[in-house]
Amino acid sequence: MKREETISFFVEEARKDFSVVDKNLAAVIQEIKTIDSKKLNYVEEFDVKDVLRQFEELKKSFAAKDSKYYGKLFGVPITVKDAICVKGIESKAGSKILKGYKPLFDATVIERVRAEGAIILAKTTQDEFGFGTFATHTEKVPKNPFDNSRSCGGSSGGAAGFTAYTTNYHLAIGESTGGSIACPASFCGCVGLTPTYGLVSRFGLIDYANSLDKIGAIAKNAEDAALLLEVIAGYDEKDSTSLNQGFTKEEATLKRIGVVKDFVDGCDSEVKKIFYSKINELKKFYEIEEVSLPLNVKYALSAYYVIATCEASTNLAKLSGLRYGVQGSVEGKHFDDYFSEIRSQEFSEEAKRRIILGTFARMSGYRDAYYLKAMRVRTKLINEFNEAFKRYDLLLFPTMPVVAPKFEDIEKLSPMQNFAMDLCTVPANLAGLPHISVNSGFSNSLPVGLMAIAPHLQEKRLYSFAKVMQE
Amino acid sequence: MTEEKPTSVMIGLEIHAYLGTESKLFCSCSTAPTTVPNSQTCMTCLGHPGAKPVLNEKAVELGVKVGLALNCTINEDFFFSRKTYFYPDMSMNYQITQYEVPVAQNGFVILPSGKKVRIRRAHIEWDPAALVHPNGMGKSNYVLIDYNRSGLPLVEIVTEPDLESPTQAREFMNVLENILAYLKVLRPDTTMKADCNISINGGNRTEIKNVSGFAAVEKALTYEFARQKQEVKNGKVIEQHTRAFNAETGITTELRKKETEDDYGYIFDPDLVKVSLDKDYLERAKASLPEMPEQKAQRLMKQFGFTEYDARVLSGEYHLAKLFDKMVENKASAEISSRLLTRELLSVLNHDSLSFNDVLVKPAELVELVNLIEARKVSDKNVKQSMINYISGDKFSPKEFLEKNNLLISETIDVDSIIDKVVRENAKAVVDYKAGNLKSLNFLSGVVMRETKGTVNPQKVLEILTKKLS
Repeated sequence: MKREETISFFVEEARKDFSVVDKNLAAVIQEIKTIDSKKLNYVEEFDVKDVLRQFEELKKSFAAKDSKYYGKLFGVPITVKDAICVKGIESKAGSKILKGYKPLFDATVIERVRAEGAIILAKTTQDEFGFGTFATHTEKVPKNPFDNSRSCGGSSGGAAGFTAYTTNYHLAIGESTGGSIACPASFCGCVGLTPTYGLVSRFGLIDYANSLDKIGAIAKNAEDAALLLEVIAGYDEKDSTSLNQGFTKEEATLKRIGVVKDFVDGCDSEVKKIFYSKINELKKFYEIEEVSLPLNVKYALSAYYVIATCEASTNLAKLSGLRYGVQGSVEGKHFDDYFSEIRSQEFSEEAKRRIILGTFARMSGYRDAYYLKAMRVRTKLINEFNEAFKRYDLLLFPTMPVVAPKFEDIEKLSPMQNFAMDLCTVPANLAGLPHISVNSGFSNSLPVGLMAIAPHLQEKRLYSFAKVMQE
Repeated sequence: MTEEKPTSVMIGLEIHAYLGTESKLFCSCSTAPTTVPNSQTCMTCLGHPGAKPVLNEKAVELGVKVGLALNCTINEDFFFSRKTYFYPDMSMNYQITQYEVPVAQNGFVILPSGKKVRIRRAHIEWDPAALVHPNGMGKSNYVLIDYNRSGLPLVEIVTEPDLESPTQAREFMNVLENILAYLKVLRPDTTMKADCNISINGGNRTEIKNVSGFAAVEKALTYEFARQKQEVKNGKVIEQHTRAFNAETGITTELRKKETEDDYGYIFDPDLVKVSLDKDYLERAKASLPEMPEQKAQRLMKQFGFTEYDARVLSGEYHLAKLFDKMVENKASAEISSRLLTRELLSVLNHDSLSFNDVLVKPAELVELVNLIEARKVSDKNVKQSMINYISGDKFSPKEFLEKNNLLISETIDVDSIIDKVVRENAKAVVDYKAGNLKSLNFLSGVVMRETKGTVNPQKVLEILTKKLS
């Protein structure tokens, strides 16, 4: 990886000469126009006036040499997954029901990148509320830059698509509940870094499943992803689940790595081939052994979908067309009928499926058998990981069992086959473990991601490993 | 003729009271009373997407105190849950409350009668917004929502079904209110609300929702008791269901059929973390509890030799106890203070159906009166008169009232000549007395007291009268 390709290099140059910021921003805005005309659908919301206003402010910062000028992201355009609130900018988590919702506040991650001199460029497309693996459960479906007839992956599809597409300096803030950063990073050949649950504040995130949601970074390289994480990580009193921990880009020594055989076994042969050829290369650097996580393979997906849909079904209850988002005519209607009408019209099939699943699993008579059991299973699965980490510094396997599929093939998948695609990404997400997806090669010109999982709060191991991968 | 079986009643209460915090339960919005709708709101209590709750530690502190004062076990680890149901006053269509593990459980309260009422649990939750019905309920085709109330901290206290009559339910509410007043944990100027569960002869229970105030609780339960008895008498089976109470008509009406708790689909609120209280915290909380009514009664009996009755009357009403403490602090005679409060003050309040919240009583002004009584400067009748005047909102203190109306016992009045005049004008009574009717002496002294408006020492009057008539 060349130093000239990193955001840090760009920021240094920008501090010397503001025209660097100007040129980069103009080029990215031009790209957004092209993306729009080609209907690549990476961008959900783009307000050029707001971007230019930020640009003018940065110009003043450049002249005044204030704290933003010395910020780690001075002049860097950042795209934001639609589910993350940006003050005054429509933020609807890819859902029709939130059309018109302009938050009164910035999410904490937005405040933090702004304070470091970044420019909030645009909101990126996603599956509605993060409900999906292919970013197809939304009106604006992003198309894979490597092959427009294929998916970008989901749910942070627009973020990864944009990152892969742009030839300019840019960072993407994504969010993962069950794999929504790693999956699109894998399909689009980017680096997707998902932190430990609680390391990055969720304040301002439109929730999917609060005990699983993690805001993270998508970038062209590990250096940039780690830089973004460095900025957005850290305690936030506005999020009760926030940890009193930060992240600094540091190298860690890695010796022994486990390859999770159970996950590799579930992958396509082409994906396996590329994965193992990479593993062979890595053997030069690390001691690599096979490891098995039988409980996670067997139960993680089920536990995840129970917990995630239970939480989601309560989160979505507030969306009833009452005070924000879509509103209908209430005249002469009982509130129950009005709520049902709005929710029936505006939620997609997938959102309805998850609301019904989640509501069912927490109903009396089923709550013990599903919700509470899934919560107990989750603890067992975390323990299984902790046991494995006593022996291994990292765990590896392919991020996705397939390469980016064609839209026409996705349509043929049953909901169960669809959920099964998350086999590799879900366990680390359920356990709240930090993980990174890095490109490990190409199959017929389509990227194949490799996933590394580290113990809680050991993001630096992922950073070190990803740098080795990219060299 | 068949003997009617005596009816047994089981009553359990779920009481909601506002905790007196400065900010709301999960956001920093003010809880101060305001008349401007929706002026104390933020993205959290409005339930805006992206906003998150952060627990108010003060509410936990107050909740722990309530638990301790009700002799509960405090759970060192507890958490909050989401109770999901759709209603327009719910900003998120779920309420953040406590389900599996509340802050406190398994306590009890002893009523003055000695009856023990078990407390099942006490938990903390946030209040929904207020629905405002323009021109009154059902009088317009729309409602307005005021979110100032959304997120206010409530404590819900749930009893076991130990109460045996509507009167006992009211008695319990009184005792509970007094305990909470001693603790100083409640938001001022708010009434406690109760959901009242009642069943007779071991049948199904009905729940009367949201009854506001003690008198209404007794009234609603009395009505419901009679209604259930009548139903059973008519050969009907009481089905478990929820009822509403109309305070104006005193009648309960069916609201909805059986509804079990679990339909709310409780999950742990994943936006919040487990609350863990360490041993030190609990020790400090215990140490911070003020003297409670029962302890106070015991102390009054021991320290001042009060009768159990007087001690319980004084300690059984927080405001009265507080007044007493202040008066004694200001060196007033404890015995006279107690008598003034438990006899004079309470009887005036009861007579006018007033509560302590309706009147302004200053301890220092009562101390002045106590001192006058102690110095025998005022007659009993004038004490009563000055209190009636004081409670009615007179701007004058009792002492000022007595002085202004020349009602203090005076040393300068020419008692002799007044007595001479009375003896002259009441010849019959004088004759009766001399004939051995002692009551006539009291009559004569009464006339003297009336003539002097009670401003002479009655003892002295008797002495002079006896001497003059012998």
